[in-house]
Amino acid sequence: MKPLTPADLQVYAQRTAAPQNWIKVGLDTGGIAAGAGEVFDALDKEKQRLGLPVAVQRTGSVGLAYADPLVEISVEGMPRVMYGRVTPEKATDIINLHVIKHQLVDGLVMARRDRGKEIKAPTQWVLVSDTSPADGDKTQFFQFSMMEEIKRQKLEGKVQVVQAIDMGVYDEGVVVQLLPSGVTYTNVLANDVARIVQHSIQKNEVLEDLLFAAADKQVKVVLRNCGSVDPESLDDALTHQTYQAICKAVTKMTPEQVIAEFKASGLRGRGGAGFPTWMKWKLTRDVKADQKYMVCNGDEGDPGAFMDRSVLEGDPHAVLEGMMIAAYAIGATMGYFYIRAEYPMAVARVQKAIDQARARGLLGQNILGSSFCFDAKIRLGAGAFVCGEETALIASIEGKRGSPSPRPPYPSVKGLFGKPTAINNVETLAGVPAILLKGGEWYAQYGTEKSKGTKVFAVTGKVKNAQLVEVPMGITLREIVFEICGGVLEDKAIKAVQTGGPSGGVIPEDKLDTAISYESLLLLGSIMGSGGMIVMDLNDCMVDVAKFYLKFCVDESCGKCAPCRVGGYQMLQVLDRISRGLGKPADIESLRRMCQAMQKASLCGLGQTAPNPVLSTLRYFNSEYSAFIEGGVSYAKKMSAKAASAGK
Amino acid sequence: MTTEPIPPQQQAQSMARWKDDEASLLGMLDELEQKHGYVPRDVADELARILEVKLERLTKIRTKIESGTRKDVEEHVKRWAKEEGNLIMILHAIQNEHGYVPREVAMELSRALDVKLARIYEVITFYHYFKLVPPGKHNVAVCMGTACYLKGAPGLLGEVKSQLNVQEGKTTEDRMFHLDVVRCIGCCGLSPAMVVDGKTYGKVKPTDISQIIIETRKKDEQP
Repeated sequence: MKPLTPADLQVYAQRTAAPQNWIKVGLDTGGIAAGAGEVFDALDKEKQRLGLPVAVQRTGSVGLAYADPLVEISVEGMPRVMYGRVTPEKATDIINLHVIKHQLVDGLVMARRDRGKEIKAPTQWVLVSDTSPADGDKTQFFQFSMMEEIKRQKLEGKVQVVQAIDMGVYDEGVVVQLLPSGVTYTNVLANDVARIVQHSIQKNEVLEDLLFAAADKQVKVVLRNCGSVDPESLDDALTHQTYQAICKAVTKMTPEQVIAEFKASGLRGRGGAGFPTWMKWKLTRDVKADQKYMVCNGDEGDPGAFMDRSVLEGDPHAVLEGMMIAAYAIGATMGYFYIRAEYPMAVARVQKAIDQARARGLLGQNILGSSFCFDAKIRLGAGAFVCGEETALIASIEGKRGSPSPRPPYPSVKGLFGKPTAINNVETLAGVPAILLKGGEWYAQYGTEKSKGTKVFAVTGKVKNAQLVEVPMGITLREIVFEICGGVLEDKAIKAVQTGGPSGGVIPEDKLDTAISYESLLLLGSIMGSGGMIVMDLNDCMVDVAKFYLKFCVDESCGKCAPCRVGGYQMLQVLDRISRGLGKPADIESLRRMCQAMQKASLCGLGQTAPNPVLSTLRYFNSEYSAFIEGGVSYAKKMSAKAASAGK
Repeated sequence: MTTEPIPPQQQAQSMARWKDDEASLLGMLDELEQKHGYVPRDVADELARILEVKLERLTKIRTKIESGTRKDVEEHVKRWAKEEGNLIMILHAIQNEHGYVPREVAMELSRALDVKLARIYEVITFYHYFKLVPPGKHNVAVCMGTACYLKGAPGLLGEVKSQLNVQEGKTTEDRMFHLDVVRCIGCCGLSPAMVVDGKTYGKVKPTDISQIIIETRKKDEQP
């Protein structure tokens, strides 16, 4: 096949994305685990049986993990709609009702997040759902009374009323969304029904008193194509503007200009530490060497985080493009993806992306007619958490044990195979092309003074809607948990949110209104980390949580340095003693001392941050530790019985 | 409860049918090869001892073992020869083929790469992903990521352990099930989750376990 030229890319980018009639199924690991594969087959079979001119396509996850399997559908004459929790049986309904009869399928629709403010076209579909937790579910009653009112006003057959499974708005009473306009009404009462039908449906007028006008809190930069692009097709990626940014870089910009653009953007490493990306690139660029390397860190070991997996599975070409831009900036000609072997689908899709790009001349010599040469390879991780640390990661790519080594020398000077190396996280690289295309200034408008831009979080644990969210920095934890993710499971009281995985800490309920940034989380005794966010309710025991994370770090310690190897183990012994009710009052103090020793003396980030979960639980939930020590064995037994019953 | 692989003596004992001809001898070796993906030398040695095979026959067996393993390893080494730092990728390829890293293969790899065996074992034992003992016929992995942990994964694990009568990281006595605890499979939206033979089960309750095990056992009955 002929290598692509800048002109070809232009043609692709101007092509209107794909055919008008399509059904997209979220086929990522999470979706497939929930049964998306069967749904895809059912849709395809039914479509072929009826010979419909609709393309059934594969895509990555849009992030709404709680509603997997997800199906998005666009057919002429119908608004673009997403269905959640689809089963193979419901898939045939989608074909027969949605595609053929132009009716929505009841009880499956996810409301639109881009809510409208005016009604231009007549309303043909109405979504209803009761979002308030208390007093039983009024959805059915409202659906019925809305339909009755529509009949009364002689609109029968013109407007369809269906129940939605998710409105994207929570704790706002009964919520109604009109389609195709997307106008959303919240806190709708029974006597509003007639008004809505009379004004909004009959006359296309918006009822300002009910209108929910607030824009969606999410801003998608990294996840811009996840859930819409086909991750296994280069052509589809090209129509989604992929490889435009690298084209701009190699044809119109010098490496210095690229670095300057990222300096303006304020982008910082999304792997956890938050080192400014432009500075990392500049340091690596400034070192003179015959060979430099670019490494993408996809060793997402933090339990409870799945951002990198979703991005690699949902939009691998964007990560590859980001890597190419970084390589151009630092002067590297070879790149390595380091991906966990536990993510076979991510590995397969990235490999496919690399092969496709190479076949079309986007990797190799003289890319896009310029003098830039670059190629990329995959190296598999093998289940060692410490390999997320950059020096350990380098050792692992070299085929050795993943033991960290002291810095300096930093990888920017002496990295992979002794050559200057820049290592960026998957999320950082996935955002790079979008930032370069739209400009650093554009990206810097989001976020706080020192933490710019957007961050992807994986919100899981005791939360109603476990999902990926991409939000501007500066948003509060409370907004994320309650306004985007729908609050705590079973409407229990929230106790804390854990961020940063085993290297982070817990943030108690009364600190949830803090604006999120690298600095503010550090002040609270936690870290930004890679973006795992675990919600804990009142039933979760903090001593147990601390023990869980510490045990993780003890298991994962490489054993090279004594503070981490011995300190972690000893701390675990003390914590174990406390949680069995055999602790002594002096244990708290000795825990604190061991934490400090580990923080100060450990060789790498794993050991230095391993005490964080213990320190932060001691800081905010000291009383729980005391309760175990004072309550003794009987209290410990009571607590473990409570924990055991919680899982059932 | 046996957790180690079946001892070579026992394996050899169970398959030795003495017929004084070349074909049956090679047949036994083929059978071994089918079972393990290669011919384990210790079992073959034992087989030769039981059958009182003559020296030249033993040599023949040896050649077969060596050539099998060697060909296998050579292919992987050839594929990765030009790449720097290839050891981990080769180990991945070997484990994908056998389900674990057999000692014979590691020894052969050490010869082919000219790397000390200790260096290879250093790497194998450092990474959780590499296994030194053969997995069971069915592999059960319970996710113990934070999200799953909070939502009751310890309860699930206890239930699997007691139903299969096996400890984590170990294989059942009949070698049918291997139980592992894994760190986050990235399906936190479905927590608590477990993976059985590559199929992920989400939102699992302890009461679902017996059904999942029955389902898995059923797969064996179908031809």
